[in-house]
Amino acid sequence: MRLHEYEALDIFEQNRIPVPRRELVSDMHDALHAAGEIGYPVIIKAQVLVGGRGLAGGIKTASNPDELREAADALFNSEVKGMPVRKALLCQKVDIARELYLGMTVDGYSGKPVIVVSTEGGVLIEETAKTSPEKIAAIHIEPSFGYYPYQARSLLRMLGLEQKLITPWSEIIGQLYHIATRYEALIAEINPLVVLSNGALMAVDAVLEVDDSALSRIRFPLPDRVDRIENPLERRGREIGVTYVDLDGDIGLISSGAGLGMASMDIIGQKMKPANFLETGGGITADLLYRCMELIMMKPDLRGIFINVYGGINPIHEGAKGVIRYIEEHNVKIPVVAKALGNRQEETWEIFKSGGVHVVTEAATEKAVEVLYKLVGPSGKSDTGKPKTRAKRA
Amino acid sequence: MSILMNDSTRVIVQGITGRIGSAQTHWMLEYGTRVVGGVTPGKGGTTVEGVPVFDSVLEAVKQTGANASVFFVPAAFVLDAFLETIDAGVKLIVIVPEHIPVKDVLKMRSYAMEKGVFALGPTTPGILVPGMGKMGIMPASLFAPGRVGIISRSGTLSYEFAGILSESNVGQSTVVGMGADPVVLRNLADILELFENDKDTDAVIVVGEVGGEQEEKAAGFIARQMSKPVAAYIAGRYSPQGKKMGHAGAIVRGSAGTHAGKHEALRAAGVEVLESPIDVAKWAKKHKLK
Repeated sequence: MRLHEYEALDIFEQNRIPVPRRELVSDMHDALHAAGEIGYPVIIKAQVLVGGRGLAGGIKTASNPDELREAADALFNSEVKGMPVRKALLCQKVDIARELYLGMTVDGYSGKPVIVVSTEGGVLIEETAKTSPEKIAAIHIEPSFGYYPYQARSLLRMLGLEQKLITPWSEIIGQLYHIATRYEALIAEINPLVVLSNGALMAVDAVLEVDDSALSRIRFPLPDRVDRIENPLERRGREIGVTYVDLDGDIGLISSGAGLGMASMDIIGQKMKPANFLETGGGITADLLYRCMELIMMKPDLRGIFINVYGGINPIHEGAKGVIRYIEEHNVKIPVVAKALGNRQEETWEIFKSGGVHVVTEAATEKAVEVLYKLVGPSGKSDTGKPKTRAKRA
Repeated sequence: MSILMNDSTRVIVQGITGRIGSAQTHWMLEYGTRVVGGVTPGKGGTTVEGVPVFDSVLEAVKQTGANASVFFVPAAFVLDAFLETIDAGVKLIVIVPEHIPVKDVLKMRSYAMEKGVFALGPTTPGILVPGMGKMGIMPASLFAPGRVGIISRSGTLSYEFAGILSESNVGQSTVVGMGADPVVLRNLADILELFENDKDTDAVIVVGEVGGEQEEKAAGFIARQMSKPVAAYIAGRYSPQGKKMGHAGAIVRGSAGTHAGKHEALRAAGVEVLESPIDVAKWAKKHKLK
């Protein structure tokens, strides 16, 4: 779960990382009031959970109330990368002498946390990594020993920094590592970490992504993770315990497994367009698949449904019962094709067939998708047969 | 004849008294696996599917001579049970459960490496040797004995590839799920090495997906050390871009993780990249695999 910047900054502040004066605002009136308290110039930053927010127009500067009125008005009436701006963080604009970078993540390949620093912070940090690798340094932490302060000091020395910067910066590294550990963060990042004109360091941005699998055992207050999913269908997916991603096609998909779901999308995408990605994980029951049907059917223009499940850990015969219960109760007319193999497959096929589902008994998803394609034809056409939005390809 | 499991593999099931543990014990036994015991603290002295249950791993190992373990333990207790299993001397461990905190996986991986234990997962369907046995949840009906090795990040896609091959009368030597989590207990290259050294495997299929850099790193191993033909499929061509772990992740990994990047790295290593799963049948035919 990715935290908002304002939530992460609060956590940083509680853990003695210097952060700017700031206030969370939800309209222009709030913003003007907060700026009066904090003092101009100010920065107003959209609190949306997307990367590249600054380049997308989600961060604005104001040096007086008129400018702030204009900036806040624009911000609260806009979307940043498709996300509506409901809240913004009004921050003191500090005097920046230099921008640095500090980030931590888990390196999946080595199986170790990694700390990355750079003397060139800011939005172009990934470019810097490619063009000037000497300005970046990274160090892996042994999971069985954890972090020790000398590691930060030697990391910063690798960048050739002066001691008066190494001392405060290594303290911030220690604090951020402490936060990352206590919050089980998969990402903890300060970009930029700025050197103020008086020489002090300050985190003017904050990224914290908490491991979803660890949420139940983190002993610090955290916001509700379902609440913050903007897309109502994706939120519903989370509520029923599946991974749902909303897409712009018209073929509904239910799969048991992320890899199988991605492959199904790729195969559907060759001739049709998936309306969603849905992955059940290993917890299929009749009720769960009933709710999955309910969820994918929330999209009004669905032309067909493809169910691709394996009975390894999942009782697919139970799942099939939920699917046909939904079909019968809601009188589903669009074609439903199911490929269901594994434990108790014959029983599963019979249940599906009893509800009018087209059953495919071969392993290749391509063959099942071909069956669906023959029933529904290509995607991208409206009911009148005219192309939707996309121009016809020559 | 196979990698990881063979006819001297004696398996214990941890979490055997749970709903999934007991159901999967039934399927493993039905497939001919030598399941010699189960462990659930507090349930020692009972039996599940005719298999004796013990209170501790050490006791189970002493009483049954077990040398391998498969986990159906709730995610929150996996780290503790894993350390116990290593300390009891078990050298092959399969972690089926999903949603184990990454912090726990890092510790598990570090301890397993230190003690020379081969562990797979988390979120793995396990290992299946067609006609001999299985540790995990792979549905037996899709597999057939033969000489093609399969390694998959995704559980269900390993069934898909085995199923397509079996329908084309091409069997498998061993099918290994490496686990679908961002951090797994063994890297892809380590499993490839076992297949390269297995005299009963003629060729290997790598079933990968977007994200992480397992396939890119494995490509280096394949180029340097593999003599057997390798084919690969990468799921996720049309998937919305997955987690890239912030700037720090992007910096550490460079261009790794994308569908195109993985294809490029694998092709450069001489791997035959399959555009769609069904193409595996043609590939097997071309190489006259059985």
